[in-house]
Amino acid sequence: MRPILRISLAAVALLSATQLLGASFATSTRVVREFPIDPAGSVWIDNPFGSVDVIGGEGHMVSVTVDRVITAPDATSMKAASDNIGLSFEGDTKVRLMRTLLPPGRNARWTVAVNYVVRIPRSVNVKIGSKLAEHIRVAHVNGSVTVNGFSGTLIMEGVNGASAVNMVNGRIIYDYAQQPVSKAQVQAVNADIDIYLPPASNVSWVANTLNGDILTTFNVRLPRFSGTIFHGLIGKGGPTINTETMMGRVLVLAKGSNPNQAQSMRQNSANHQPVPSDVMLQPKQIIQLPYFIGDFTSVASIADVTVGEVRGNARIETGAGEVELGAVFGQCNVTSLGGPLNLGDIMGALFAHTGAGDIIVRAARMGGQVTTDGGLIRVIVAGGPMTLRSGGGDIIVRQFSAAMDAETTSGDITLTGDPHQRTLKVTARTLQGNIILNVSPRFGADIDATILTTDPEVNELTTDFKGLTVRREQVGNKTRIHATGKINGGGERVELYAEEGDIQISSQNITPIKLATPKR
Amino acid sequence: MFDCDAMRENMPLLLTESLDPVQREQTHQHIETCPICVAEWSAYKETWLILDKLPEVAVPPRVKQRFLAEISPAMAQAMAQTNVVPFRRGRTMRWLAQAAAVVIVGSSAFYAGHRIAPRTQLIPTQAQVTAIQPATPYYSIAESRVLPAASISPQIEGRPDIQNVQFSDASPLNQQIGVSFDITSHVTVTGRPTDKSMVRLLRYVLENEDRESPSRSRAIDWVRATYANVGNPDPEITEALANVLRNDQHQGVRIKAADTLQSMQSAMTDGTRDALVEALKNDPNPAVRLKAVEALAKLARSGVALDPDMVDTLRRKASQNDENVYVRVKAAEALSSIQPR
Repeated sequence: MRPILRISLAAVALLSATQLLGASFATSTRVVREFPIDPAGSVWIDNPFGSVDVIGGEGHMVSVTVDRVITAPDATSMKAASDNIGLSFEGDTKVRLMRTLLPPGRNARWTVAVNYVVRIPRSVNVKIGSKLAEHIRVAHVNGSVTVNGFSGTLIMEGVNGASAVNMVNGRIIYDYAQQPVSKAQVQAVNADIDIYLPPASNVSWVANTLNGDILTTFNVRLPRFSGTIFHGLIGKGGPTINTETMMGRVLVLAKGSNPNQAQSMRQNSANHQPVPSDVMLQPKQIIQLPYFIGDFTSVASIADVTVGEVRGNARIETGAGEVELGAVFGQCNVTSLGGPLNLGDIMGALFAHTGAGDIIVRAARMGGQVTTDGGLIRVIVAGGPMTLRSGGGDIIVRQFSAAMDAETTSGDITLTGDPHQRTLKVTARTLQGNIILNVSPRFGADIDATILTTDPEVNELTTDFKGLTVRREQVGNKTRIHATGKINGGGERVELYAEEGDIQISSQNITPIKLATPKR
Repeated sequence: MFDCDAMRENMPLLLTESLDPVQREQTHQHIETCPICVAEWSAYKETWLILDKLPEVAVPPRVKQRFLAEISPAMAQAMAQTNVVPFRRGRTMRWLAQAAAVVIVGSSAFYAGHRIAPRTQLIPTQAQVTAIQPATPYYSIAESRVLPAASISPQIEGRPDIQNVQFSDASPLNQQIGVSFDITSHVTVTGRPTDKSMVRLLRYVLENEDRESPSRSRAIDWVRATYANVGNPDPEITEALANVLRNDQHQGVRIKAADTLQSMQSAMTDGTRDALVEALKNDPNPAVRLKAVEALAKLARSGVALDPDMVDTLRRKASQNDENVYVRVKAAEALSSIQPR
């Protein structure tokens, strides 16, 4: 034998051995059953892993074919899987229940797919539960259909009865052979929804999505938005098809039309009166820019915006997302219905609001207004007068050089005054928490500090300054500790109010924070 | 060493709470400063606990009968001998007997000390210092004490009222951290972040509801800064944070607890995950729910299997129209990375 041939044979043998060693075992078993069922009866199928096909037809029998495919790396695991996976057929002529039985604590070494093909009388009602399916298909059924799945493609083909489907991931396809005569409720989290209707259909259409678009090739009558929910009539209107997916898109197509010609209802809604929640109708955006010259504007339903430097004004409006701006040379206006805001050096006036999330501002040189419905507010340097509001969360200001107004429903407020300022106006109020005011030893102010507490032994008012008069009085079941007076000869009014917390006014030798001058 | 012997004699009485307050305090203070007695004390307590847990076994009736049968004649005989004549020592012999006793005891002690003990002949070797063992320090009255975490028991007994808790960051030299607090005196416990005693102390500080929130708030900040650098933080730390997330009335503290849990994914327990799910379901503050859903989304992305209740909660949150949009988006993101198992 020639050496080349010998080497080739050896290589083939080696490769084959490697294949064998790394191979996994797979086995398939088939079960076939038949049961009688009433014409108005129900078939319930609970199959966590595997596809389900339900096909309607004539007759009075339910015919079930189940293929169980187990994949395992060795014979022991294969046997363990085979012994532990069962099928159950229960019920009577009114309700037929078919279930795949899996052990509660599954061995990760094997996988199973149990594929059902079920033939039923057309009039029977169908209920399907699934977790992971390659597909779930229900065809030619006039009874009601309910599907609850997690992942996979759901195909509803020629289903004339009322239907309610709920999926998390994957895709939902409704293909109507004739115009809809019953209600359909289609809900998903991340799945796309496609509905194919005969061109002459009469349907009332409701659609809702946060992240995707609402598209159709039909000429929709009376279109209107209520928040993110779209309402419209196809043809003369008729049974309601409700399509709702949070992150996916909704597409309703006339059969035979080109999907590329589908129009967005979000962008083309006629007679729409603008409302503040319109931001949710804008498409999703992801923006990442090192810098932007001029005024920067972004309006999107869901947006993650990161811009290193805006050399102009910035205006950002978003329904949800994370906003990060390194520096803004002009005014900065950021409104988010939810998500954290991380703002750097803001040289103009600042207005920032989020429905939920933390707000961090490195420098608000001209001051401004920062509010969150829930979350922490942290401002490193406040150069101008500021108003800070939190619906619950701490407020921390490392250095403020102008009037400060901070309020939180629950949380601590820690404010540190600019040591160069001899006096500053301060208003701080927390309905549950503590207030710490750090100022320089020469800070002068007219102090009005109040603690309202149910536990006067624990909550106390402490100060490093002399000149305050403290009074205690009972107000209902609470004690009011009220300190007033002038420190260092008096100055701007400092009004502090804390419920169920401490107030501490401390004198510190503070090292001032210096901001670098930006290069324009 | 004399102190140790005396203190060890006190330990059983300490266990049964039979010592007077002064002795109890002295014994406790000695135990805190003496590593040998710490071990001894731990063993005592362990034994005591084991004894407490042992079931009481009834004496079998057959054994009881045999025992009573054996002792009954002897008892009867003892009871019968009531005509014992008392021995009355003569007054004149009394001082002689006392003197003889002193002489005998003294001689015996001398003999025992010098004759009975075998003499060991030491082979002369060259002197060499191999290690210096620090002498057991005497307890001294001081305003503050520094205790190494390794020398204190991880078990915190009762609910000691600790105040003015302060933290010191890890030293670059030996990675030792410090927790100082006022108890009967100012105490600083030093040790590695992974020392069990240190973990238990931090857990106590985090969970101690008697103390006000600012202390806990600072504690959480410090725990995050410290344990972010530790590869596998102790699950007790995450459980303590989970309890804060469940129970603290202070919303700012709950936000911090949820946020910190997010950075300690590797040490999360089932209880910790349940706390996040509870927070996502029920916390009135949207920021807490937001942090909780972010933590769960991060868990889902890391491939950790989420139990059905968590998946169900995420599913409901994603579809809940009156929930904050960002919370819904994050719940949907988490669901998109879940592979059903």
